[in-house]
Amino acid sequence: MIEMFQYEFMQRAFLAGIIIAVLASVSGSFIVLRQYSMMTETLAHSALVGVAVGLLVGSSPLWTAVVVALISAWTIEYLRSFYQLYSDAILAIFLSGSLALAVIIVSLAGAFNSSLFSYLFGSILSVSTEDVLTMLIFGGIALMVLLAFYKEFYFIAFDEEVAQTSGVRVKAFNFLLVTIVAVIIALSIRVVGTLLIGALMVIPTVAALQYRQGFAKTIWLALGFSLLSVIVGMTSSYYFSLPSGATIVMTVLIVFIVSLVINRR
Amino acid sequence: MTFDVPVFDVKNLMLTINEQTILENISLQINKCEYTALIGPNGGGKTTLIRLLLGLQKADSGEIRLFGVVQKDFQQWDKIGFVPQRAAQVDLNFPATVLEVVMMGRTAKRGFFGREREEDRQAVEEAMQKMDVVHLKAKLIGTLSGGQRQRVMIARALASKPEVLILDEPNTGVDIVSQQRFYTLLRELNQEEKLTILFITHDIGVIADDIGRLFTVNRSLLTCNDPKEAMSCSEMSNLYGIDAHLLHNHHHH
Repeated sequence: MIEMFQYEFMQRAFLAGIIIAVLASVSGSFIVLRQYSMMTETLAHSALVGVAVGLLVGSSPLWTAVVVALISAWTIEYLRSFYQLYSDAILAIFLSGSLALAVIIVSLAGAFNSSLFSYLFGSILSVSTEDVLTMLIFGGIALMVLLAFYKEFYFIAFDEEVAQTSGVRVKAFNFLLVTIVAVIIALSIRVVGTLLIGALMVIPTVAALQYRQGFAKTIWLALGFSLLSVIVGMTSSYYFSLPSGATIVMTVLIVFIVSLVINRR
Repeated sequence: MTFDVPVFDVKNLMLTINEQTILENISLQINKCEYTALIGPNGGGKTTLIRLLLGLQKADSGEIRLFGVVQKDFQQWDKIGFVPQRAAQVDLNFPATVLEVVMMGRTAKRGFFGREREEDRQAVEEAMQKMDVVHLKAKLIGTLSGGQRQRVMIARALASKPEVLILDEPNTGVDIVSQQRFYTLLRELNQEEKLTILFITHDIGVIADDIGRLFTVNRSLLTCNDPKEAMSCSEMSNLYGIDAHLLHNHHHH
């Protein structure tokens, strides 16, 4: 166990993984309860467009991913406020549309290579010190905003209309929530990859929900599961040379199945 | 002494959806401390009218003033407590204890960083006491009975210390004993706490003795200033296709 920390890249990867575990599980709790789970998948694919643009123009893919994910999140939220009945269709359109666009941009850039692969599925080797710093700063800000307004987000998730009639500015908070989530997703793609980050946001909360606790306890449980999965997943990824994102997601899936079984009615 | 402006002042409200008139020329005033009921057949526009009052939906024309302020400029939403129709049918798997749900009522008033202040805790405790749900506070909302859940939702509305309480058919799925207890409570809130109450229902019989005025809505609206005058009200009810027997029976026994 100690041995793998002799490598600096593993230290960075673990630090990044722990930051992502915290961000994904806490924001994921609000997303799941808000019934926005598919939003995570869609935004992750939009972030991939950002990565592709980054690869094409040769700038940092992390930054372009944040920008494109944000634009996509706001556009989706704007469209959803008009076409409430078709909100899942809007997500589907953005998801496949983003993927198509990303593939075209990547092929233009001539970058169908390991670099793209690492953004799709995550690669602990690719986490730089600069990445960790970016995650720490922007992840920290995202988490602070989330915690500052957690009561508003919670109330809206429970009952949007009553929240609105009690003076909570629902539309503004919906935009704020997708903004935070877009940033967190874009930050996460180094470690977990665009195709797998949705799982890390959604599954820990769904696993925690099986224990039927109040909201505060459910968030703590989700956080615990998320940290456990990232730590176990990354360790096995190191020792068995498996892709980190997939190993983390398989671990959290096991946590979910165990939770489901021991809490079955 | 200041002159009391009406809590709700509605003038000539019109709403058409897909070329179908939903509400037509609605005007009504509700004053402070009044206990009023809004009745009407299903699909007659009761819930829509309430949604317009609360700003959840927009009318085509007409004016709504809340506490004398034009609705779009109104800020003090914590003065209005709303218990929606589906209060008894919340998502049973939602991770929320009774305490967490009642605390939601303080969201608009909470301190910086969502911190609970002493006054928040006090208001929540008081609201739970009034609705007799203190002993349930650690329980999950999904494990309660329909009647208990209804009381929790009202406690949440009371936690913001509102001056008005709007209840939309709150008795769906609640047993008779809980209902009786609930009406007594509403009467006390109105008489002792001076709360303005607007009660939306299709079953007026049980509260006919308590309410001061009755509004009937079936596309357009009529005001019945004395619900105890069963005759005039039943005429009105017939006109609007509402079964008035409940009113009659109640008063003749």
